[in-house]
Amino acid sequence: MRLSTGTRIAALAAATALVASACSGGGDGDTGDGAEAAGPVELTFWTWAPNMEKVVDLWNADHPDVQVTVNKQDGGDPAVTKLLTAIKAGSGAPDIMQAEYQKIPQLVSADALADISGTLGDDVAGHFADGVWNAVTLGSDAVYAVPQDSGPMQFYYRADVFADLGIDVPTTWDEYAAAAATIHEKDPEMYLGTFSANDAGWFTGLTQQAGASWYGIDGDAWVVDVDSDATRKVAEYWGGLVEDGVIDNKPMYTPEWNAALNDGTQVGWLSAIWAPGVLAGNAADTAGSWEMAPMPQWDANAPATGTWGGSATGVTSQSEHPEQAAEFITWLNTDPAAVQALVDESGIYPADVPASTEALSDPPEFFSNQPDFYEVAAQTAGTVQPFTYGPNINVAFSAYNDEFAKATKAKKATAFVDAVEAMQRITLDDLKSSGFNVSE
Amino acid sequence: MTMLSSPSAGPVPGGSAAVPDGEGSVSRGRSGRRSAGERPSAVATGILLLGALYCLLPVVWVVVASTKSGSELFSTFTFAPSTHLLDNVADLDAYRDGLFWRWMANTALYAGVGALLSTLVSAMAGYGLAKYTFAGKNTVFNLLLAGVLVPAIVLAIPQYLLLAELELTNTYWSVLLPSIVSPYGIYLARIYAGASVPDEIVEAARTDGAGESRTFFQVAVPMMVPGLVTVFLFQFVAIWNNFMLPYIMLGDDRLFPITVGLSGLLNQGASQPALYTLVITGALLSIIPLVALFLTLQRFWRVDLAAGAVKS
Amino acid sequence: MTSPTTTAPARAGRPAVATATRTTGPSTSGRRRLAPWGFLAPAIVLFVLFLALPIAYAVYLSFRTEKVSGLGLGAGARTEVWAGLSNYASALGDPEFLASVGRVALYGLIVVPTMLGLALVFALLLDARRSRATTFSRTAIFLPYAVPAVISSLLWGFLYLPGVSPFYDVFDALGWDVPSLFEGDLVMFAVANIAVWGGTGFNMIVIYTALKAIPSELYEAAELDGASQVAVATRIKVPIVLPSIIMTSVFSMIATLQVFAEPTTLRPLSNAISTTWTPLMKVYRDAFTRGDLYSAAATSVIIAVATFVLSFGFLRLVQSRAFGQEK
Repeated sequence: MRLSTGTRIAALAAATALVASACSGGGDGDTGDGAEAAGPVELTFWTWAPNMEKVVDLWNADHPDVQVTVNKQDGGDPAVTKLLTAIKAGSGAPDIMQAEYQKIPQLVSADALADISGTLGDDVAGHFADGVWNAVTLGSDAVYAVPQDSGPMQFYYRADVFADLGIDVPTTWDEYAAAAATIHEKDPEMYLGTFSANDAGWFTGLTQQAGASWYGIDGDAWVVDVDSDATRKVAEYWGGLVEDGVIDNKPMYTPEWNAALNDGTQVGWLSAIWAPGVLAGNAADTAGSWEMAPMPQWDANAPATGTWGGSATGVTSQSEHPEQAAEFITWLNTDPAAVQALVDESGIYPADVPASTEALSDPPEFFSNQPDFYEVAAQTAGTVQPFTYGPNINVAFSAYNDEFAKATKAKKATAFVDAVEAMQRITLDDLKSSGFNVSE
Repeated sequence: MTMLSSPSAGPVPGGSAAVPDGEGSVSRGRSGRRSAGERPSAVATGILLLGALYCLLPVVWVVVASTKSGSELFSTFTFAPSTHLLDNVADLDAYRDGLFWRWMANTALYAGVGALLSTLVSAMAGYGLAKYTFAGKNTVFNLLLAGVLVPAIVLAIPQYLLLAELELTNTYWSVLLPSIVSPYGIYLARIYAGASVPDEIVEAARTDGAGESRTFFQVAVPMMVPGLVTVFLFQFVAIWNNFMLPYIMLGDDRLFPITVGLSGLLNQGASQPALYTLVITGALLSIIPLVALFLTLQRFWRVDLAAGAVKS
Repeated sequence: MTSPTTTAPARAGRPAVATATRTTGPSTSGRRRLAPWGFLAPAIVLFVLFLALPIAYAVYLSFRTEKVSGLGLGAGARTEVWAGLSNYASALGDPEFLASVGRVALYGLIVVPTMLGLALVFALLLDARRSRATTFSRTAIFLPYAVPAVISSLLWGFLYLPGVSPFYDVFDALGWDVPSLFEGDLVMFAVANIAVWGGTGFNMIVIYTALKAIPSELYEAAELDGASQVAVATRIKVPIVLPSIIMTSVFSMIATLQVFAEPTTLRPLSNAISTTWTPLMKVYRDAFTRGDLYSAAATSVIIAVATFVLSFGFLRLVQSRAFGQEK
């Protein structure tokens, strides 16, 4: 905040007086950073992964000099909002931050993440697939985070219902459309899936599979390519299914949708590797009836998939101990014991390739009927298509929410294509009006 | 999701003056009127009961729903109770080592201490405005009141930037301090002071040699107490309702008030299952103390806009 | 600036504020002259720190904007510059903003009369001699005031779901087609219902307190003359409590313009609520989702000014109509 020194001192004096005069207990609020030169280095860590504090306990036990405190956050978006506000304010940010891959360009653009390339070991990059590593370097020499988990997409379906209705697992999108029609015809209450206007990350993954990449870098200019043939193809396909009424048009993650998963009126879900946890929590009655298969394909000869979710751990630009913080995040995401703990405690699918093959062998409990679960997963993870996120992906995502909400309400395939065009226009206009170099 | 700027379309702590029964208001002696042998009206009573039913419906639902397990929530009849209340409470208690109770305690601290301080500050300001004449009085009063027009959501970020400057973000202070000043409270306190503290008594205290602050604390405050309870309740609800301020200010979930905590439980992100039963049970447990507080202090809710109008 | 909240009672010819401002006579000591400032000091300091400074800063931000250079990556890529009135121009020219204003106007036309109408009816019934179960009803109707908007929206959000709502069972039993409250224009009523539910009780108490302050002699004569209870209510009681009704209208209008919590809580459940459904939701989206504090600040200033103009204008209007004859 740009206050003159005089104002600032006056404000400080007034506030100090208030603090001194007001009664009440408080003051348990540890601001985290700013540890004294003596004593251990104190690091704060914003994350939303469940049970992360148990993983961190392992580190704290072995590293009395560097103590990490977990501050649990709401899912990805609110944490980013808070971090950006703290960065603007100049204080209040944690040392370490969990960030979804698509948020990294935005955070880097706001100067929220520190470049830790100088302190990382040379071997760290070797732990990760090229596409994933690219997401934390943004294709530059800098390194802004260490990948934590990834979310390759697969198709989850009610094997029992498919068997009852005599439907084969769809391997192409044409077969998926046919299966959706058959299921809805047999039981008008039942759907193979829903098109959710609330989940931009889900739609992004679907277009990624089809070969889209919404952003690109051309020299020192950004390219916005939301309205590509691949994206249009996906939008038109889903628009057609919604128009025909063979799949639902209600958002995911509503109580209604969760209930539909549980009571068997939603019998399929195009989701990602973390789906078993969600299904176990929201559709407990259906345990043992689900199976997982690779995504339906556009081209059966060239299997591909996208990602939904997945995140990395970065060091913020406000951290006073970037070296210790970088050391911690390297341990967290590449040390075999740490990765094993992440799998066991937080239930994530680690981005670290060598450690994950060690850590993941038995299928998740909810999928105990599918022994080859992680083999299929590893196979799909190898077909993730490259995708570049841009600095205003937040604008593109909120445009997705608004434009596709209109389209799903209209239930017209043409409205879905219109929504893609509107997203392109809104995203591009925002990038240009913010002053980014944009090449068209 | 769920952000809240404090004055929402619902409860409007609007320019109202509480007139406690007794002093200041005309005693109408109507207490025994209903027993006057008049024929009860089924229509009138029926409409009132319909209104009561409408207002109780969601409350009854949350009570019933908190007894259901996760899958019963959507499968059994809406108002059919089940037997899982204790399980749900135990689950909630187990969530992050009983964090929920800490949220409840934090809420009590923010709303309770915040409303107490706010009542004190409002009472002083209201008394100063009502009982003294000085240049600039109306300007000060109108400026303070203009604060009502600015939505809290607009102020959240500038307030954050300011408190960051003082290095107070992510502390109890960051939620308490901005909650203390209340234009509504000052407006109400001014009217109470004007209506319930007679000038003659203030003058008499001064003649007896009491200083200005002693006159206020020992003479005026006791007379204003019934009205100040209303200011306290207004402000208690306003702080309890204000979602935006703690949501922006706090990064550490051990400092959260209940509303921010519950909304976090509801928004776990795409890769986590929803925790509906925890949220519903939490919602029930969190409104119990407030409802109790309201029922206890109900007799103070005599809010009259045209204070002293007809009766003086 | 004159605040609407002070003018109402004063203009209405009520002595409320006049009583409050009655002087204590010429002060004799210097201490006495400083005393009111002493009493006001904590309020003024806190007001300046936590309201005035943030407001001033928001106004300042509304004339600024951020420019990015090149790819905008890394430190120093962003600089803040003066924007003149361009944030205001783009807010006022934004069709989404104008649509949200229209939506809130319609929403206000639904909520304010419904809520105050119900509040008035309930208050009159509570005050009527022939009503029974008044203590229970009063408590029950006031109860929603104790439920924060975030939680009440959550509860109603569940009750609107076809799988949960008892109304859907009723509709089903009658063989009617079930309208989904989360689709199309019905969502407006879904949101309005939550506001009415939460606000009726408070307004009822305000009006009821005013009713109780009416000396009963004022209408006992009419009752003796054989006037019905309804006639007593509409001809005698309502005109007397009109000032209370007007003030609750003004504050309800201000709250309506600032509607935010209810639609934001319901948004994830519905395709029909966009991220810019109300003006404050647009402010929130710009500030928090898009990180554009500057546009958000400009929109906020527009909302605050519009609130002021509307509430002040409304008061002027009703005063000239309702109280013209009192002068």
